[in-house]
Amino acid sequence: MSVLSRNNVKLGGAGQQPMMFAHGFGCDQNMWRFVAPAFEADYRVVLFDHVGAGRSDLSAYDPQKYASLQGYADDVVEICLELGLSKVIFVGHSVSAMIGALASIKAPELFESLVMVGPSPRYIDDTGYTGGFTADQIDELLHSLADNHMGWSAAMAPAIMGNADRPELADELTDSFCRTDPDIAKAFARVTFTSDNRADLHRVTARALILQCSNDIIASEQVGEYVQAHVPDSKLVYLEASGHCPNLSAPDEVIAAIRDFA
Amino acid sequence: MIHPGEGRAEQVEDLNDLYENAPCGYLSLNPQGLIVKSNATLSSWLGFPTDQLVGKRLRDLLNVAGSIFYETHFAPLLRMQGFFNEVALDLVTADGGLLPVLANAVEKRDAVGALVFTRVTLFQATKRRRYERELVDAQEAERKLGKLRDQFIAVLGHDLRNPVAALNAGVQMLLKEPQSERSLHVIGLMQGSLARVSELIDNVMDLARSQSGGGIRLSRDASAPLGPVLHQVIEELEAAHPQRSIEAEINLTEPVDCDRRRIAQLVSNLLSNAITHGASDRPVRLHAETTGKELVLAIANHGEPIPEEVRSHLFQPFFRGSTSSSQQGLGLGLHIASEIARAHAGSLGVQSLEDEVRFTFRMPLA
Repeated sequence: MSVLSRNNVKLGGAGQQPMMFAHGFGCDQNMWRFVAPAFEADYRVVLFDHVGAGRSDLSAYDPQKYASLQGYADDVVEICLELGLSKVIFVGHSVSAMIGALASIKAPELFESLVMVGPSPRYIDDTGYTGGFTADQIDELLHSLADNHMGWSAAMAPAIMGNADRPELADELTDSFCRTDPDIAKAFARVTFTSDNRADLHRVTARALILQCSNDIIASEQVGEYVQAHVPDSKLVYLEASGHCPNLSAPDEVIAAIRDFA
Repeated sequence: MIHPGEGRAEQVEDLNDLYENAPCGYLSLNPQGLIVKSNATLSSWLGFPTDQLVGKRLRDLLNVAGSIFYETHFAPLLRMQGFFNEVALDLVTADGGLLPVLANAVEKRDAVGALVFTRVTLFQATKRRRYERELVDAQEAERKLGKLRDQFIAVLGHDLRNPVAALNAGVQMLLKEPQSERSLHVIGLMQGSLARVSELIDNVMDLARSQSGGGIRLSRDASAPLGPVLHQVIEELEAAHPQRSIEAEINLTEPVDCDRRRIAQLVSNLLSNAITHGASDRPVRLHAETTGKELVLAIANHGEPIPEEVRSHLFQPFFRGSTSSSQQGLGLGLHIASEIARAHAGSLGVQSLEDEVRFTFRMPLA
């Protein structure tokens, strides 16, 4: 199984410098469909699905390897090496912002910069740190996922049917968007929401842009500011977009911020 | 003549009342995701007056777990396809309780595609969700039980092999020493029983493997001939059942790319079955041929026809026919034979005629 088919890697763009987009917990590379095309004229655009998501090879899902974010970061490095990429601009949404940071720590020579969209190094509050969630709340999330498949499969299934008004979306939606194997989704939720990568932030040597939304319950402004304070060469841009997915709700703002930075 | 209804003012549906008191909850969100309008039905369900709902976000009505799920799954889905249907959510009521609902949402966009409103309709789903939860729990319990069963079978099968091997070694040792005729007879019976135990263990192990998802693994080899393998199986069974005869017609002119050990097992299972269930005074017949594009192996015995309803269950594991006999095994032989056939991309079928039962295995040669 090649790395490229394992991670459903899609290449596009006419430029030289690679810009690699990584989706977060919940959906797949379609998360970037309103953003990535804007960079095709000037960059080599690399899209992929994490193993277990989208159209990745589910048989490559190794519970041990993917029990930490490092397992996902190792995949990112492997994809870069397989494609012979260098000076990569890595754009990571949500948990993939940290996955990108870990990949850049492991192979700093590959990465020129990181764009971290809604990053959080730790979701659970700790002494002197506000992650946004209590341990009990995250437990409740994991428990409700482990306890109740409805949210994952039965509740999702009707939602991923085709869309008569936008048939061009139908195929992809029907096949993958937001659809996840329940067991893998549970494991990914666990590794995401129990992660603590605060100690890794200062080891990032790539320059970093942090895009912070308003009203993001998953990664609050406080958390974005914490990341900015601990990643050495970083700057923080507040977006007007609200919620956790500005790449979908305010793509123009995200595109402009990345252009300014890159 | 007076018609019923005549003289009454015609009732016109009051759309405002329909909105407020509809048998479902309504929410409208502005493009920033803030609630701008909701109906009285929803207020009464939640225990919040409408003016307390306005200005909140949909996720503010959910518990924390639900809001994470909403933000990471349903919000993107809504943005991507413009709607979602039948999404299961738990709303938090004013007194802190959870109200399970099913939600539909659709975005209203203007002429240039800008989001104007998101409209959400909510239906109470307490009983339905409880029922679904019970189904999921039952499924999970069944899955765990199945896994435990498979593990138990695998471990048991494995642990039984060692004592059987020790017994076989002991019997072999006894045969090297002078024995009375009576002892030789008993030792022969013991050997037969040990062979049967080994076969049962093999079948159980194969079942565990095939049920745990691996299927039956093959090591195929097209170069060695299949004929001698079939003859050996026949000899073994004739030795174990000296009073029975097996008539074989073997005509294999082309190489067969198969796992010969597995095909031997399939034939052995089918012959054992035919000997057990066939008329004891009539021979069992084996016919094997290659036809250019497939291998056809048929094993037939004389005897009672198999009723239709039994035929459909024959290849299920642990299926035992109505005849209860100490000769019967666990009911795995035919199941495993059919699994072996499947692993070879072939088929195993049964025909029941007036006085003959015939099992036919077919597999493609290429």
